[in-house]
Amino acid sequence: MSPRGAKPPGAAGLLGLLKPYSGLIALLLAMTIIANSLTLAVPRLISHAIDTFGKPGFALGPVVLQFAAVAILIFLFTYGQSIAQTYASEKVAKDLRSRLAGKISVQTYEFVERVSPAKLLTNLTSDVDAVKLFVSQAVASIISSVFVILGASALLLSINWRLGLCILAIIPVIGITLSLALSKVRKLFRKGQETIDWLNRVINESILGSALIRILSSQHIEFEKFSAANTQSLGIGLSILRLFAGLIPIITLAANLATFTILLLGGHFVIAGSMSLGDFTAFNSYLSILIFPLMVLGFMSNVIAQSSASYARLGMILAAKEEPKTGTLTELKGDIAVDNVTLAYGEKKVLKDVSFAAPAGSNTAIIGPTAAGKTQLLYLLIGLLKPTAGAIRYDGEPLEAWDADALHRQVGFVFQDSVLFNLTLRENIAFSSSCDEASLERAIRAAELEDFIATLPEGLDTVVSERGASLSGGQKQRVMLARALALNPKVLLLDDFTARVDSNTEQKILRNVRELYPGITLISVTQKISSVEHFDQIVLLMEGEVLATGTHAELMETSPEYVQIWDSQRSTSTYELHA
Amino acid sequence: MNYTLSKGGRPGAPVPLRAGVKRFVPLMKGEGGAVAISLIAILCSSFATLIAPVIIGHTVDNYIARRDQHGLVLSSLLLLGVYVAGVVASYIQVRTMGSAGRRLLFRLRNSLFTRLQELPVAFFNQNKAGDLISRLNNDTDKLNQFIAQALMQFVGSVFMMAGAGIFLLVLNIRLGSAALLPAAAALLVTRTTGTWVKNRNLKSLQGLGGMSSEIQESLNNFKVIVAFNRLDYFRRKFQAANDVNYAASTAAGIANNLFIPLYSLAGTLAQLAVIAYGIYLIEAGQITLGLLIGFLLYVNSFYQPMRQLATVWSSFQMGLAALERISEVLALESDMPVLPAAEPASESVLSFHQVHFRYPDGKEVLHNISFELERGKAYALVGPTGGGKTTTASLMARLYDPTEGRVLLHGRDIRSYPHAERTQRVGFILQDPFLFTGTVRENIVYGNDEYASCSSEQLASVLAEANLSTLLERFPEGLETKVAASGNSISLGQKQLIAFMRATLRRPDLLILDEATANIDTVTEQLLEEILAKLPASTTKVIIAHRLNTIDNVDQIFFVNSGEIIEAGSMEHAVDMLLHHKRAS
Repeated sequence: MSPRGAKPPGAAGLLGLLKPYSGLIALLLAMTIIANSLTLAVPRLISHAIDTFGKPGFALGPVVLQFAAVAILIFLFTYGQSIAQTYASEKVAKDLRSRLAGKISVQTYEFVERVSPAKLLTNLTSDVDAVKLFVSQAVASIISSVFVILGASALLLSINWRLGLCILAIIPVIGITLSLALSKVRKLFRKGQETIDWLNRVINESILGSALIRILSSQHIEFEKFSAANTQSLGIGLSILRLFAGLIPIITLAANLATFTILLLGGHFVIAGSMSLGDFTAFNSYLSILIFPLMVLGFMSNVIAQSSASYARLGMILAAKEEPKTGTLTELKGDIAVDNVTLAYGEKKVLKDVSFAAPAGSNTAIIGPTAAGKTQLLYLLIGLLKPTAGAIRYDGEPLEAWDADALHRQVGFVFQDSVLFNLTLRENIAFSSSCDEASLERAIRAAELEDFIATLPEGLDTVVSERGASLSGGQKQRVMLARALALNPKVLLLDDFTARVDSNTEQKILRNVRELYPGITLISVTQKISSVEHFDQIVLLMEGEVLATGTHAELMETSPEYVQIWDSQRSTSTYELHA
Repeated sequence: MNYTLSKGGRPGAPVPLRAGVKRFVPLMKGEGGAVAISLIAILCSSFATLIAPVIIGHTVDNYIARRDQHGLVLSSLLLLGVYVAGVVASYIQVRTMGSAGRRLLFRLRNSLFTRLQELPVAFFNQNKAGDLISRLNNDTDKLNQFIAQALMQFVGSVFMMAGAGIFLLVLNIRLGSAALLPAAAALLVTRTTGTWVKNRNLKSLQGLGGMSSEIQESLNNFKVIVAFNRLDYFRRKFQAANDVNYAASTAAGIANNLFIPLYSLAGTLAQLAVIAYGIYLIEAGQITLGLLIGFLLYVNSFYQPMRQLATVWSSFQMGLAALERISEVLALESDMPVLPAAEPASESVLSFHQVHFRYPDGKEVLHNISFELERGKAYALVGPTGGGKTTTASLMARLYDPTEGRVLLHGRDIRSYPHAERTQRVGFILQDPFLFTGTVRENIVYGNDEYASCSSEQLASVLAEANLSTLLERFPEGLETKVAASGNSISLGQKQLIAFMRATLRRPDLLILDEATANIDTVTEQLLEEILAKLPASTTKVIIAHRLNTIDNVDQIFFVNSGEIIEAGSMEHAVDMLLHHKRAS
């Protein structure tokens, strides 16, 4: 069994990863070989100096010069090898990260949520680092070890094939031990990385929920969650350690047994006269050459196991299929139709056979109780979710027929929860790449943000903190609206936009949108009837089903459920009408 | 208080080697036994490594050459014994020190997490989640690697070098000095470059933290990136962070890798020095050729461990850099201590006395606010967005402390309540509801010691008693419905329902609802009002809302605008102010 066979299947994949860097790897190997050969030359230089010293014609000067030159060359080549190794490993890591990010960026929202951001974070950091470790530590030493082992084995066999075979018997022993341990330890490494996913999630939630935790004084609960993950991580770490702490001594011992065998058996041969003392000595010195790379392989097995486990995890992302981009339509008029749309999560139906149409330029409100499926309906409209049955149509064409980029440029979406980036206000609002200065200004005016921005010392260039902690709820929501309007959209989807804005501001904003964006198709999920009373149609959604569709007046006539909602809001309207 | 952690660019203060080593000492507290065992084990295994060739040499010279079978067997068995002892010792060393490293990792992560939990909300507003995660996961692991893999090698190498160095000097002081001169020069280079190397490693860790922040932010906000067609944004931002990380990591790698070649160079130069100087000394008749040959071998026993030292040196510097980033978090203290309890100075449930508040490096958002809330009454805070409503509520729950003035809870400075007692008395339903990944049930009893251990039936009856059962109908599988912190498995309105149930079950003296029902439909909201009405009569309620029907039945309305609070005489008055005041920001 050759050491090549001792490599786990994952290592083959890892080596495949290196193909594009063959130039750099070749340079690395060349440097390694030159540096090693030069190092082997030093003892020769010494013995030469000692042998010739005292003989006529000996001069110290040239010896010193020669020696110094070799020393400096060794330094240069060893450092060159390290630098090549650093560049190769960092480049592999960087390119792998880019590839992963590129893959993730073409996946659907649903994919990212399913895999979970916590795991993707581990993939892009810790898993890639493990692969990097393979390149920076394992590649050069494995390849040079294999060379040395092959060479030393050949030499051993040529001196005394019987004794040679005895010694080479240790190689399969080491190989089998390694591959057994590797298959076991790779599972452990994999579990270890999964524990890191878990830690990521717990830490992230404890940060996102930091205010809640402080309001409930529940730090101890978070600590318990963290401690559970951390304890598992400790357990896995210790299991891996137990395996490797045992593995390396086994390899060392196997190598030592070879020395022992030579001494005993070789000594016996010498005593019996079948082997010369010189051969015996040579045998011993070649064995010491053979043992070192075997030990290196043992040490590297740790790195191989870790990086191949991580690479296997990455493989799942790299192999993920890209949603085919079939759509070609680009110019949107603004007609929307929802045709018999059903959305189910497993058994559970969130939307059941929902249909309605919103002609271009019309205003549609969707009203209904909590958990009726309103937000999911909007997600279907923008393509964040795919319907289980039925179709969403824009201008009579199904969503799939549209070029996704073009559609997203023309459909603005204001999410219910505020999503802000750690960027300037300008970049947050002009988030789409197609936004010009005039669109930006118009969007800010429409969202009634002018006054707020005027009070900021740095105006639009104020940097918003991560998660938008520096803005009030209403301000965040208006930034979200401005972001959608900055697209100059043909269609505007509002998800409960009015919830965080006072009714005075809300009225102004809706008026602004009508005036500044004439002809826009508006679909607004809302709780407040008063703000959508004059809309062209109101869709009443309950438990995933459309109960009624019509104007305010029609629904007041035909839908008792609608009237109930209206009644629940009457007291407010009196104030607002009065005002 | 400024809680912002350094993000890079700031060169760290130089750390002398001894001080650097000292920093590791407190980390190893409680691991004295492990260190001692490892130390003995590494000495044993080093000894075995050194003695084995001597035995072989002895066997060859005395038994094989003299054809002594019996001696050969005995001697071989002795060698076997030494090998086994060496292997056992190295097993013990790897195992003991590896375990110590893992335990250190465990302890460090725990203490970092505990520290994070002790810090106030302001800290989380000033730092990026991704960077904190990186400190907790990656930086601690760098320290683990140093402790588990490098520390003992470090100690062992230093030990062997010291021994070999002394031996060289004793053997011949002049030749010994010549042999050690290159080592001294190499160590001098190491010492002077220590800070530079550590800072490069620090930058590399910061690069990793920065990249982690980008990933975290982009992936958590992925739906906006998709909906706004900015997948290129994710790629570009990530690419930028990736490039920074690449540059920093490569720079660190090049710095870290300097030492193996450098120490090898020192080793070769030492041999050169010994040969050149030795030959000179022989010619001067001061030493013999035999001594020179012996010396050349001994030089190696000094430089071999030194080369090993170089391999652990970068691990040491990386560990130091990681420790710096970890210590930075551990050194942060909350600026919201619990004060000693004082005598009650007022009768009201909660009052503000000339409270001013400004966010760190922001302008003042509350100016000289005073008001009193009475037991059992309901209050509303209305006003334009950005006027200071949420800030006022946050001060009531002590998420922040006032910059000036005092907040009194039951007449006592709110700062004098232990955290558990304060949070038991003050309930706060936050504007942005947050759920932990788990079930509805886990989220409802989250942080509630009274009901946490209830069975499902018990909890169902508790909820029924509190009139909360009907709300559970909004969840397809009731209490057992699964929820996730991210994602769209449940709506914002549902999250608000869970937050509402969680807060009311705790029966606080003061319940603050910050737009707590904003995304809940008005019919369900009426239900919530009924539930609120059935809370104990002593409960004081503070309601922040934009939808005015929510605040129909309150006893008193406060109009909050531009950081000032005005008592509104009536609902009409409040509405009038809402319509006619210029919106503040």
